[in-house]
Amino acid sequence: MSEVVIEARKLSKTFKRDEFEVRALDNCDIEIKRGEFVALMGPSGSGKSTLMHLIAAMDRATSGRIAVLGEDLSQFDDAELARWRNRHIGFIFQQFNLIPVLTALENVELPLKLTSLNGKERIAQAETALRLVGLGDRMTHFPRQLSGGQEQRVAIARAIATDPDILIADEPTGNLDAQSASDVMVMLQKLNQDFGKTIIMVTHDRHAAEYATVIRHLEKGELKPEVEYPKKPV
Amino acid sequence: MDPREKALGQFISLIWKNATRNRRRSLLTVASIAASFCLLGVLLAIYVALFISRDESPAGSRRLVTRNRISLTQVMPISYEAKIRQVPGVEAIMAYQWFGGVYKEPKNFFARFACEPAQLFQIYPDYRVAEDEKRAFIADRAGALLGRDLAAKYQLKVGDKITLKGDIFPVDLEFNIRGLFDADKNEDVMWFNIDYLWKSLPADRRDFAGTYLMLTQSAEDSPAVAQQIDSLFRNAQVRTKTESESAFAASFVSFLGNVKLYLFAISAAITFTILLVCGNTIAMSVRERVREVGIMKTLGFTNGEVMGMILGEATVISLLGGFFGCVIAYLLCKAVSGASGGFANLEGMTLAPWMWVTVMTAAVVMGTLAAIWPAWGASRTSIIEAMRYSG
Ligand SMILES: Nc1ncnc2c1ncn2[C@@H]1O[C@H](COP(=O)(O)OP(=O)(O)OP(=O)(O)O)[C@@H](O)[C@H]1O
Ligand SMILES: [Mg+2]
Repeated sequence: MSEVVIEARKLSKTFKRDEFEVRALDNCDIEIKRGEFVALMGPSGSGKSTLMHLIAAMDRATSGRIAVLGEDLSQFDDAELARWRNRHIGFIFQQFNLIPVLTALENVELPLKLTSLNGKERIAQAETALRLVGLGDRMTHFPRQLSGGQEQRVAIARAIATDPDILIADEPTGNLDAQSASDVMVMLQKLNQDFGKTIIMVTHDRHAAEYATVIRHLEKGELKPEVEYPKKPV
Repeated sequence: MDPREKALGQFISLIWKNATRNRRRSLLTVASIAASFCLLGVLLAIYVALFISRDESPAGSRRLVTRNRISLTQVMPISYEAKIRQVPGVEAIMAYQWFGGVYKEPKNFFARFACEPAQLFQIYPDYRVAEDEKRAFIADRAGALLGRDLAAKYQLKVGDKITLKGDIFPVDLEFNIRGLFDADKNEDVMWFNIDYLWKSLPADRRDFAGTYLMLTQSAEDSPAVAQQIDSLFRNAQVRTKTESESAFAASFVSFLGNVKLYLFAISAAITFTILLVCGNTIAMSVRERVREVGIMKTLGFTNGEVMGMILGEATVISLLGGFFGCVIAYLLCKAVSGASGGFANLEGMTLAPWMWVTVMTAAVVMGTLAAIWPAWGASRTSIIEAMRYSG
């Protein structure tokens, strides 16, 4: 009962800019099992975001192999990757990244427009997601009419709208005050425990990391051996 | 396009929101497209009125105009009238002459023709004039016949005197208004007796006609009759050119300059300007949204869908611009046709339904074309690059 959903072998990513080469990720091996809630920590520039982008198929590795949900991502073309992302990955950003001209509900509905659901079903599903994050009364608000914490909850609703298997969060609490941050963490924990989502979260915040089931460290593009098991707050 | 991609129709509301998110810029863009395509519409209408549209009334297609082959400014001897009358198929003929001149002020422009009053009503059977007025006009050598609306515009009535200061001809002529007429078209005309003009000129300038206007027996005969008239004078000192009334109206305008070339040059300039304006606006609004493009792609939108949405936005804006351009062009055409004073064929100038379609299609094609480059660039931006973009 421990299916591996993310498996990377000797994964490397090199950025070339003019003459310079930056090795953002260096021969990284990682295995994440279904239902895990992994907190990824490490100093700035250690390649955490780069790893997230590779797992979410937002970027392609320079070398090495990465399989997510049993699929070798390098096999897909760009359009196939886009649809695969839509179905299987929910991404939560540090800067929320909502579309400013769309209401909360429309933002959450956006990824559903790419599915086979009809208009009614989409709205219903988007409303369910918004209620789940406690924003049932803010559906018609625009992002600028929401607080940072509320915006991030809309972003979470958007990430779970298509009911993906994996949630990826890159410093989701980085722009939030302590209270909003712990709201968001409780929500992620709930998604992990009650809905069985596999979550990989980058964070600098030890406090946030304690909500995870596993903490991993990345340093200079290399993943440190699994050393630490946090105790979950109740 | 990838078959799994969603039809653009799914994203109409999003496209609309994007197109209207910067209201001021969108309005300005729509306005500049409207202005340019309005101009294009008017030019199209002018072109069609001058060079393509024909007087389709039965009498209209039976009317021919003969003029000096060399130029409109050259005249023909009056002896030609009798010779042309002999040509089989010619039912009526009348000498007539553009007088030009000024009525009080140059801005009071309307067509003034010297003619042979007795024949005028044969050639224009659609003229409706009271019988006594008709007789008075024919009888008075200094008589004038005006279109009813034209007379009303200058507050003239039967019995009034009207003086024209000559410009082409070195004479000032005073006329008695003897009658008013109603007609199906070209009502803004003043007719007077060519005899009166001749008598006022020095002896060596009399007995000529700038043009002859004929009515043929049938419309089908008209081309053959025209050919026969011209062949009649093939070896004469003054050769002729005979064409249909509407073709003549067009050549009358061409005589003012190479109108066709001007029309095409202006249209090309407009089209090019629009390409730049649209391209620039779309590029600008896309640059501001690179980050959003990254977000959309993260959510699963493909390059093709992103590009389609940006093109859709350009289409919406240019369609709006084209539509408003047509509305303005339509109103302008109405105004021009009202103020044309029966000049050439401009009275019939209008923005026909097919022109609306043409102008709006041109607008959409230009707008979309202009957006292809920025749209392609944006859709190809990788997610990582797009998300790093802070603009
Ligand atoms: N698009 C890019 N082009 C060039 N270099 C890049 C690019 N993205 C990342 N890098 C470099 O790769 C390295 C790893 O970057 P990454 O963003 O993964 O770090 P991180 O661990 O997420 O850092 P932080 O905690 O500050 O977010 C850094 O040195 C960074 O400068
Ligand atoms: Mg980062």
